[in-house]
Amino acid sequence: MVKNMTNENKNRLVAGIVLLIAVLIPLVLDKPYYIHVLTMCLLWAYLASAWNIVGGFAGQLSLGHGIYTSVGAYVTVILFNEFGLSPLLGMFFGAGAAVLVSLIIGLPTFGLRGAYYALSTVAISEGLVVLYENTMTIGGLRLGGAEGLIVKLIGDAPLHLQFTSKIPYYYIALVMLLLIIGLSKWITKSRLGYYLVALREDEDGARALGIDVRRTKLIAGALSAFCAAIGGIFYAMLIRYLEPQAIAGAAMSTQMVFLAIVGGAGTVMGPVIGGILLALISEIIRFYLGGYVMGLHLFIYGLIVVLMIIYKPGGIIEVVEHYYRRLMNFRDREVASGAGDSSGS
Amino acid sequence: MVQETVLDLRDLTINFGGLVAVDSLNMTVKKGEAVGLIGPNGAGKTTVFNLISGFYKPTRGDVVFMNEKITGLAPYDVCRKGIGRTFQIVKPFGKMTVLENVMVGGFSRTRNPQECRQIAAEVVEMVGLGSKKDALAKNLTIGDRKRLEVAKALATRPEILLLDEVLAGLNPTEVDESVELIKEINASGITIVMIEHVLQATMAICNRIVVLDYGKKIAEGTPAEVTQDPEVIKAYLGDEYETTVN
Repeated sequence: MVKNMTNENKNRLVAGIVLLIAVLIPLVLDKPYYIHVLTMCLLWAYLASAWNIVGGFAGQLSLGHGIYTSVGAYVTVILFNEFGLSPLLGMFFGAGAAVLVSLIIGLPTFGLRGAYYALSTVAISEGLVVLYENTMTIGGLRLGGAEGLIVKLIGDAPLHLQFTSKIPYYYIALVMLLLIIGLSKWITKSRLGYYLVALREDEDGARALGIDVRRTKLIAGALSAFCAAIGGIFYAMLIRYLEPQAIAGAAMSTQMVFLAIVGGAGTVMGPVIGGILLALISEIIRFYLGGYVMGLHLFIYGLIVVLMIIYKPGGIIEVVEHYYRRLMNFRDREVASGAGDSSGS
Repeated sequence: MVQETVLDLRDLTINFGGLVAVDSLNMTVKKGEAVGLIGPNGAGKTTVFNLISGFYKPTRGDVVFMNEKITGLAPYDVCRKGIGRTFQIVKPFGKMTVLENVMVGGFSRTRNPQECRQIAAEVVEMVGLGSKKDALAKNLTIGDRKRLEVAKALATRPEILLLDEVLAGLNPTEVDESVELIKEINASGITIVMIEHVLQATMAICNRIVVLDYGKKIAEGTPAEVTQDPEVIKAYLGDEYETTVN
């Protein structure tokens, strides 16, 4: 029966099945620890996808996306802690602030090319971490400095995004991931997506074809910052604690980049698959090995990442796609449309 | 019949440090013309294109397009005004297919992906890349890359097309095909200015030729006039040939 379906319908069928499994998992695996791990997998897939908009499609190697997760999270949490503003509303201020910051950073840095842009994002985000660590209050609002900021606990309050159970967080993360996959798909099919890939491949060539390169980068940067900020806000509500290194530091910034690149930067599903798979692997090896030798799990994780980059520079997505096509008996040369789909190697 | 002036370069000059790369160039191009821009290596031909298309800002002088000063406009604005250009060192978007490459150009005229795809498909067909429309640009031969370069610029629906050595590196058959293509483009109403080293081809296409040397215009006229010009012969072959030819 499957044989007579078009590729697109096969894709829909598979997507439906995967989604159904994702929806049902919490009913089967009901230990909070498992749910938490799965929620983090979805969140990392989401964050990698957020980075992918500017880092993958537009090819601007931002190593400082912790800036946006942290600005979003801090603004939202401060509004909640100090004024009792629900994060459901506060997140628009948080994400809005992140967009503003992305524009302020983007205006001078998007003129830079290659390594210079990457370096400037590192410098700015590292500076920001130091600022967080050394600021106890801003104009009377508590920021918490290096000891971090605790999100006020008010118990089960869905309207304030607080739940005593882990399960609602899982579903929120799932919806967020679905939304960003939809956004990525839309980008690849729209003019914006074509423009981003074009300027990634050749800036002067793009300019000559009528593309305002800086403006296009700013738009991608702002979209990416908005999404990353929402992810940071969700993280804050899930963990209920903001620590500068964790939300803004190199660990956050580089993790997004790793997951997206190892998964397949510049594709819609690469960062999603990379995020879920690597976050899962990293948690499993931490669970089994973390107790024996300190840091061994990180070493092994690093090794996997290095091997992937050496042997599959196009990302896990290439391997997955290859076997998926074979498994599903895809009709050849029914070429997928959309700029970002041509992942190539 | 008075022909409308499409492009007018007035006293166009640019210095790089102490070097005057283009020196007080005056040149007009009328609608429907095909003008060749020739000259020895380093004469400033590509610099003239970079000045027209907004990649360089002139030190002095103006670029006037359809009676409007466009001096100093950014490249993307120049493109949207109706000036298309190709690059001597081609700039394909490697990881995009041929059709997608051309669509990038088409998007300067429409936001609608379907409409854009249609524009691009027509252009791809016209330049003879129809059978390769789904190939990745990085896998094309140099000949096809040059065609793609023309296709991308054409998809922006230009009034005038600046072609920078689109015949260089092609084999004789490909040169013939490209000459036909450029004639066809010109016949469809698009004004052409082309930089070229393949002189026979230039003469087959252009009704007027401008010769640059050391950033200055040293001759201008029909192909026949220009090739007889002693200044031109001197520029190409050196001083000692001057007497023998005369």
